[in-house]
Amino acid sequence: MPHTELMVGNKAVAYGVKLARVQVISAYPITPQTTIVQYIAEFIANGEMKARFIEVESELSAMVAVQGASFAGARTFTATSGPGLFFMHHPMMEGADLPVVMGVVHRSNKSMQPDHTDLMAQRDNGWIQLYCENNQEALDTAIMSYKIAEDPRLSTPTTFGIDGYILSYTAEPVEIPDQEVVDDWLPLFKPKWVPDVNVPLAEWKKYQGRMYGSQKAWIDHDTKFRSSLGVIKEVHRDFEKVFGRGYGNGLIEEHNCDGAEAVIVAMGTIASTARVVVDDMRAEGNKIGLVKLKCYRPFPADEFRSLAEKYHAIGVIDRNVSLGGGGNVFNETRSAIYDMEKRPRILGFHTGMAGEEVTPQMIRRIAEKTLKAVKEPIGPAVEWVGGA
Amino acid sequence: MSKPTPLQRVEGEEIMALGNSSCQGCGHATLARIAFKVLGKNTVYTSVPGCIWIALHDSLPLYWKGTVFEGGGALISGIVNGLEINGKEMNVVGFYGDGGTADIGLQAMSAAAERNENVLWICADNEAYMNTGGQRSGLTPIYASTTTTPVAKESRGKKSNKKNIPFIMAAHNIPYVATASIAYPNDLIGKLEYAKKLRGFKYIHVQSPCPTGWGFEPARTIKVARLMVESGMWPLYEVTEGANFRLTYKPRELKPVREALSLQGRFRHLDDSEYEYIQGRAVDKWRQLLDVDGKKLPI
Repeated sequence: MPHTELMVGNKAVAYGVKLARVQVISAYPITPQTTIVQYIAEFIANGEMKARFIEVESELSAMVAVQGASFAGARTFTATSGPGLFFMHHPMMEGADLPVVMGVVHRSNKSMQPDHTDLMAQRDNGWIQLYCENNQEALDTAIMSYKIAEDPRLSTPTTFGIDGYILSYTAEPVEIPDQEVVDDWLPLFKPKWVPDVNVPLAEWKKYQGRMYGSQKAWIDHDTKFRSSLGVIKEVHRDFEKVFGRGYGNGLIEEHNCDGAEAVIVAMGTIASTARVVVDDMRAEGNKIGLVKLKCYRPFPADEFRSLAEKYHAIGVIDRNVSLGGGGNVFNETRSAIYDMEKRPRILGFHTGMAGEEVTPQMIRRIAEKTLKAVKEPIGPAVEWVGGA
Repeated sequence: MSKPTPLQRVEGEEIMALGNSSCQGCGHATLARIAFKVLGKNTVYTSVPGCIWIALHDSLPLYWKGTVFEGGGALISGIVNGLEINGKEMNVVGFYGDGGTADIGLQAMSAAAERNENVLWICADNEAYMNTGGQRSGLTPIYASTTTTPVAKESRGKKSNKKNIPFIMAAHNIPYVATASIAYPNDLIGKLEYAKKLRGFKYIHVQSPCPTGWGFEPARTIKVARLMVESGMWPLYEVTEGANFRLTYKPRELKPVREALSLQGRFRHLDDSEYEYIQGRAVDKWRQLLDVDGKKLPI
């Protein structure tokens, strides 16, 4: 029977990795990620997990090492935070075919506290990016990530993020699924090609080179990567059926949106606070709902277009900034709906940067401004909330 | 310790295909042919950017993986662990140049050696970034003219000495460290065969003269390589079990360095005092090595 334990987010991630029967782990210490791999090292040391831990000298080497192990046919995991993730950027641009899974514990570049600029700086790498709201979702997403990454139609690197401190070091009750159920749902990794003296090399070389060397390689890569949206939804649906828990449709989740005129969009832990605010405001008669964005890459543009058909204003909360360019989710939301005949108003809000607390009052202000935009043009369309 | 072995005595088939896109007289091509014949088909080899990747990749029908320039040590670590956890035994080889070994690759290599990963590292040392047009590296010898240390009014070529990577690797106390030269194939083959049988991190550093970058006739590659050894500028030795030092080739008398250097365009500008410096250093280093020959290094 699944059982429930009180655990911090980093431990939930470590449990997910253990349940997924990962074979090779490589990581380098960095706050607030470090304890994930400490928990994993303990699992290995006490025999609970049969895996190799490559204790590398840097994050860059951690990334390259798991790519090498994945190439060799092993199921792999690495984890890091903010600056460590920036250091991985170079090898993350490689390995388009390797189903490596990485946990990111968000850390800002301007403090050790979280914002999403670390993972969003890896936006264009061809890694699937999933964001988590709580510790249960962290464990579940870790398991789902392997099924997504290793799907034979994709074989694509996948990463999932949890907010540093807010989740990494905060205990919540987490249900740990049974190992047998996970084993049944997530069979051992069977890659298409592994180094083997008996395998015809010519075919393998052709397969290896197919996403390199030309513009066509970029087109093929982009096409394959975009197709992962369907796979994510499918894997999520399947997960929900077996484990009895779900997160919207795997890409976005609409919360209390029935009859809403406007919605706010939030990611990670901000979505948790926003649920409470939206529920309160609904009780007061305001027609506001919440959309949680779980999958940022590939960007679920179709989902946003269907939101745009239903709601008259969308307020996007960005816990990130593309300096000189605005909020990443705000920009992509506007871009996704541009071709629609009837477009809702899109407002953008930067908040929670460098780990600043995002209070219910702040979210309420965002929701109220978004609601107001249903009726009248409102300016400025983008503002920073908090941080004074 | 290793035992010199001629190529005819190596069993198994030639791995390297006929024809490759290296420059005429490329030492790396000779090295690759020898090395992979010794290692055999049950081998995964890896590349980082450089001459080997560009010129030889397509003529080596083996499982292969490339990675970022700085990642060689981490890549082979990942591959060998990934194979072993699935019960597979294969030779995992890093076949990298001097930059991917001694400069940008040093950190990850040192860490992999410190962990004593079960891999073989072959450094094909042509003493500069030849693939990008011959810029100096940490393994370029002093006074060599390169495209980033050109000889001109204010410059006499590279300002500093070649980094002693084999000794740095020996200081990691790994099972095997050796130097080799493509001009001494029997010595090289013996070292490769010995390394192949050991578990843990094996490091073989092979000097591989580059006609294009060093400035000599492509027909003279082996001659240049031999003179570098015979003049004491590239001594052949091995360090086994983490400390036991042994010279594997001892010329009765060292040839003058001028004989080797005067064949190379990169040293065309040397004056007498510069020759004297290089000569003095070669003799001094050679004496130091003779002193420790057959003994344990204090590392």
